[in-house]
Amino acid sequence: MRIVTRMTRIFILAVLVFTLAGIPGAMAADNQDSVVEQVIQRGVLRVGMSTFVPWAMKDKTGKLIGFEIDVATRLAEDMGVKVEFVPTKWSGIIPALLTGKFDVIIGGMGILPSRNLKVNFTAPYDYTGMSIVASKKMAAGKTGIEAFNKPGVTIAARLGSTAVTAAKKYLPNAEIRMFDDEAQAYQEVINGRAHAVVGSAPTPAFQAIKYPEKLYLPIDGTFTREPIGFAVQKGDVDTLNYFNNWIGYVAAEGWLMERKTYWFETKDWESQIQ
Amino acid sequence: MIGKKPRITATDLILLAGVGVAVVWLLYQATVQAQYRWNWQAIPQYLLRLDAQSGRWVPGLILQGVLVTLRLSIWATILALIIGTVMGLFRTSCSRYRRMLGTGYVELIRNIPVLVWIFIFYYFIGDRLLPAIGISRATFMDDGPLSGILGLLMAEPSRVPIFISGAVALAVYEGAYITEIIRAGIQSIDKGQWEASSGLGFTRIQQLRYVIFPQALRRIMPPLAGQFISTIKDSAIVSVISIQELTFQGMELMAATFLTFEVWITILAIYFVICLVCSLLVERFELYLKKEARPA
Repeated sequence: MRIVTRMTRIFILAVLVFTLAGIPGAMAADNQDSVVEQVIQRGVLRVGMSTFVPWAMKDKTGKLIGFEIDVATRLAEDMGVKVEFVPTKWSGIIPALLTGKFDVIIGGMGILPSRNLKVNFTAPYDYTGMSIVASKKMAAGKTGIEAFNKPGVTIAARLGSTAVTAAKKYLPNAEIRMFDDEAQAYQEVINGRAHAVVGSAPTPAFQAIKYPEKLYLPIDGTFTREPIGFAVQKGDVDTLNYFNNWIGYVAAEGWLMERKTYWFETKDWESQIQ
Repeated sequence: MIGKKPRITATDLILLAGVGVAVVWLLYQATVQAQYRWNWQAIPQYLLRLDAQSGRWVPGLILQGVLVTLRLSIWATILALIIGTVMGLFRTSCSRYRRMLGTGYVELIRNIPVLVWIFIFYYFIGDRLLPAIGISRATFMDDGPLSGILGLLMAEPSRVPIFISGAVALAVYEGAYITEIIRAGIQSIDKGQWEASSGLGFTRIQQLRYVIFPQALRRIMPPLAGQFISTIKDSAIVSVISIQELTFQGMELMAATFLTFEVWITILAIYFVICLVCSLLVERFELYLKKEARPA
């Protein structure tokens, strides 16, 4: 009797262990199709994004709007599938792509050599740059980017964004404080606890317009120029080729430029937010 | 002391005035000194808004988050209660194998930070387990009656895998604490009760069912209720894996509108109200248990 129970136990354990061990193999077999192929079969394109004004944000009704949202929606439309947005925290967006939580990141992600080692990028479909907005109280009189490259100067930026990379490169002597959300970084400067915030244009300029008595722009325009691309998992040439050619196609149409002007140069969309 | 009417003394008044001044000063600092531009008018539309197309009131972003938080908390609590009860019984079991299993579980979970646990579970464990039981594929089915039920009980079909990941991770975490509460409850019952019921010829399961557990339940209830309320609060942590619950929705809203303080304060008030209501319900239930226990 005793021996029988023991054997049963060992048997159950063995079955369990082998089943778990077999799962990665089964999954690998699943993923042999290219992402484009999987998307067509599924009928849904899953897009990873994070809130970043005016790339992607939620309007009053909870619907996502913004430049990236337009791009991803058009992309899905052209593929003949439905689009599904997966809002993800920016700091965890690359691990989420690598573990297959969605098919592609369309979220204003700057193409960086270090990032490119982990994921594949499409050809740039947009260019952005870093801009800086400073606190009138803390940084009175400072103009030009060099004025902020001093010890004792505090710069706020969003964790994991290219703003941090740019700040480290152009302002190596300043202290950089990182925040999980852009709003927190700007709030820090509005409250006068940091000298300036580095962020993707045009948000710094928009914030300076919103708080004219607290913030000012130490430089005109941007101090970096960064290419923006879709990010996909490595080793999938078919998908990369499809996305690259789609970008070429809509750029030639002038559609990309037209959307970009609407979201970045006008503020017609502001009434949809508040 | 008993029956003496409380009187307000000069010391009380001075203390009260001191606290009042401190609160007013803090509020002044927060509103006037910080020179934050308050915009409370924007908040109600994120709670509830009139849909222009259908002409009906629909939940806004924050209220949608509240619903997810509630669903998540309820599922996590049910699962945690099951895990906790089984493991609690294991820990008080006669079998050394089961005791080791229970102890291993509790010590493993209790000694890792919940944030790290949720990350690990979502990216590694959940990723391997969910496809294995066919959940991720099944959820892309067309809108049928099943997807409606799923949407009501859990999340919209496409978000079910991540929802399950979050709920299970939270349940396994809370389960470790519930295990300890149940173990403590059972072990607090006098040894004589076991011996007496054993003397009456009860089997071990009967002893637990008819003698030990009814007594232990009254001692288990208060800390267990505390743990349930804790689960609601802890559910905020799963915002890191992008489950769209209250905290996540709040953060998204802040990123889009820059209404940092208004949104945080609203969220704080909502968590407080939910937890307070639960506390009051539990208090009622405890009073009821006390009445039941009183000999007629």
